[in-house]
Amino acid sequence: MRVRARYTKSGKLRFISAIDLGRVWERSLRLADLPIAYSEGFSPHPKVSFPDALPLGYASTGEYAELTFAAPVVLDTAVKALNAAFPAGLEILLAVPVADGDPKLSSLLQASTWDLQYRADDDTARRILAAVDALRAADEVPVARQRKGAPEAVDMRPAVAEISAVASTDGVTVRVTLHHIDHLPPGAPPVALRPSEVHAGLEVLRPALPDPVLVTRVAQGRALDRGLAEALSGEHVPPLS
Amino acid sequence: MTRALDPPVTRTRPRLEVALEMTATPATARTAAHASVWSQIEPFLTSVRKPARYVGGEGNIVVKDRASAECAWLLVYPDVYEVGQPNQGVQILYEVLNERPGTVAERGYAPWPDMEQVMREHRIPFFSLENHLPMRAFDIVAFSLATEVGYTNLLNCLDLGGVPLHASDRSDDDPLVVIGGHAAFNPEPLAPFVDVAVAGDGEEFVAELDDVVRAWRREGWTRTQALERIVRIEGAYVPAFYEPEYAADGRLRGTFPRHEGVPYRVPKRTVSNLDEWPYPKRPIVPLTETVHERYSVEIFRGCTRGCRFCQAGMITRPVRERSKDTVKRMVHEGVATTGFEEVGLLSLSSADHSEILGICGELADDYEGTATSLSLPSTRVDAFNVTLAEELIRNGRRTGLTFAPEAGTERMRRVINKMVSEADMLRTAETAFANGWRHLKLYFMIGLPTETDEDVLGIAELGLKVSEIGRQYGRKNKVTVSVGGFVPKPHTPFQWCAQDPPEELSRKLDLIRSRIAGDKSLNLRYHDPLPGVVEGLLARGDRRVAAAVERAFELGARFDGWDEWFDIGIWQRACAETGVDIAWYARERGEDEVFPWDHLDSGLEKDWLWKDYRDAVDRQAELEDCRWTPCYDCGVCPGLDLQHQTGHLPIYAGPR
Repeated sequence: MRVRARYTKSGKLRFISAIDLGRVWERSLRLADLPIAYSEGFSPHPKVSFPDALPLGYASTGEYAELTFAAPVVLDTAVKALNAAFPAGLEILLAVPVADGDPKLSSLLQASTWDLQYRADDDTARRILAAVDALRAADEVPVARQRKGAPEAVDMRPAVAEISAVASTDGVTVRVTLHHIDHLPPGAPPVALRPSEVHAGLEVLRPALPDPVLVTRVAQGRALDRGLAEALSGEHVPPLS
Repeated sequence: MTRALDPPVTRTRPRLEVALEMTATPATARTAAHASVWSQIEPFLTSVRKPARYVGGEGNIVVKDRASAECAWLLVYPDVYEVGQPNQGVQILYEVLNERPGTVAERGYAPWPDMEQVMREHRIPFFSLENHLPMRAFDIVAFSLATEVGYTNLLNCLDLGGVPLHASDRSDDDPLVVIGGHAAFNPEPLAPFVDVAVAGDGEEFVAELDDVVRAWRREGWTRTQALERIVRIEGAYVPAFYEPEYAADGRLRGTFPRHEGVPYRVPKRTVSNLDEWPYPKRPIVPLTETVHERYSVEIFRGCTRGCRFCQAGMITRPVRERSKDTVKRMVHEGVATTGFEEVGLLSLSSADHSEILGICGELADDYEGTATSLSLPSTRVDAFNVTLAEELIRNGRRTGLTFAPEAGTERMRRVINKMVSEADMLRTAETAFANGWRHLKLYFMIGLPTETDEDVLGIAELGLKVSEIGRQYGRKNKVTVSVGGFVPKPHTPFQWCAQDPPEELSRKLDLIRSRIAGDKSLNLRYHDPLPGVVEGLLARGDRRVAAAVERAFELGARFDGWDEWFDIGIWQRACAETGVDIAWYARERGEDEVFPWDHLDSGLEKDWLWKDYRDAVDRQAELEDCRWTPCYDCGVCPGLDLQHQTGHLPIYAGPR
């Protein structure tokens, strides 16, 4: 029995690497005493797969995993047991069974919606909002990238499906939906754009912005004209306004 | 020494001034400083290596409210997180203390140099992992010292924590600085920096100290008044209440009590019944990779094999076994509360447990067909141990087996009392390879007393013979010979020995290297001989060595157990500046020489240790294990009013 899950990586857990996170999953599955299937071979590992890795330091409410169980499980019970076994910061938000012939998980994860949180005074907040407007209006925004040790400019704009922002009392949150590399619009440079490069793009347009204090992947799924349809539930993740 | 005299202090060393300023915070800050430093460290965590070292949040972490606690402990292992976290001693005391209502125990580890730099630059104090509280928020800061090479890290932790390095500079409101662990059996090189040292088992001691410190906080005693009460706890050594005296030639005359009511000799603490202390019950499950990831249970404590170099075996006597039922219960519960995939059955010589076959067999039955694997570190060279390994591994993977013959010739092994014949070793290797094991690791020491070049070459010869057997059973079979330099340790028969200088160890390593050159299935691994110089100085040093430790720390010594950080030049300069002659401390000692640790009573009679030493070097006389042969009066059992607790029956009884 195969199951797909959307989970969080937040709080202190955001400082552990993708490899460490995989080990935490394996151990938690054992701790929850679920009938997870094991790989064959010399050193058997529980069958859990992760379509991509969240860079260290980023938080997320939109990570995904696919699990293979050796025996049928009651989904709600299994999710409860796993959530009890997980350390704080790791939590399954939604789990769905996979039927034979369902599309591959990676094909459902076409885009990511990210929140970049800035701490800013009124003046800086205005500049961030202006940078967001400028980026939305721009046709081309070159950012620096290392390629084989040499700096190179890539146009980050085509990978940005949508960008929005909202000011709060102590800063600004920028929400950006980025096309994944296999789902870029035709003609876009083949770049897996990172949230740090979105920040770099904003700085190209309005120099000397503060670094974001927290970057969170909100969800993954399919980019819509407005917002994102979450991969497992279809739930609408709207832009900020 | 090769890279010796001109100390290459070119590495950027963090400046010290910042933390020294923090020391000047008013003493009343202890209770006020309960605020978490998490928001201070969080912005820097993505710019340091392995930030998981600093975040806490692990499985089975115990997070209690410090503000409502009567006594708060910070348990520090003065090495980096992934080395310190699996330490059994810290884990046991963490649970024992946190089970006490009103007591909080949190953990701290030495920050890696990149993090230290961030902390000093941004004035972030040493912090705990549970609530990220600064060191000064704690009543007791207790260091676990498994090895001497953590001493400069200990000073660095205190300095980062804003706690005065010298006990004499601490005010009534500063934390109490305590050390324990094997290195605490000679606390003198740290004497000026610690308030209390305790040698031996900590399980009972910590609760007694916790009670006194609560009373201190409640009654508002002065620091001295508190220490006067602490010193009444059995096992508590307060260095400030003792003073060493030296003869004109520099030798120690003795370490004498200088305060009313303190004992001439401080006994070690010994827990008599390990079944009453079934810890760890819920060990921390790390979020990042550590050096040992397994549920570990000590199947017995103490060892009477009598290896003459082995400090652990000497200072942990007598043998106290955990019963098979307790071991099994601990393993079942430990695996269920952690999700660990490996179980380690620990002790100094695991196959010596009287019920070892039952323990291994029944646990292997319980976990057969599961993903849980069992391991038995510290086994002797003995075909029986291959049987045990087979029992544990069942149909699993046979990768590597490790044995420690320790010396290359039978003569040398008789001197160190590691009674393994060459025939035993070869038979063991044969059994192992015949059973499908593909890699044998053999541990040896060089620099042992009376050692000749023949003994040294014997290491290579034995390795080659084992490697030859391996090849008969498979072309890809491998043998690793691992060689370390011997460091004489206090409270052992070899405490009188001279320590080989590093040039001599290097020469001996070259002998081994050239003998085995060309054998493709034999790997040689060896330790750099230079860190052993410092380890030896600190192991057998007296109170005068403390000045060198402090100076080395000031000059930037950190992580002395790490090749990438250890710098002999710093230590040479520190010793030169403080008048400490390293060679003098490495010399052979005379029969009547007073040791800096003589006032710390490990239970072993010095007369017996001397006799055993002379038996070794004069006659190469072997000594049997006293679990199954008559008592030879090492002194431990009557002194503690204890006997070995083991299911072994003596092979023969009656007077010798």
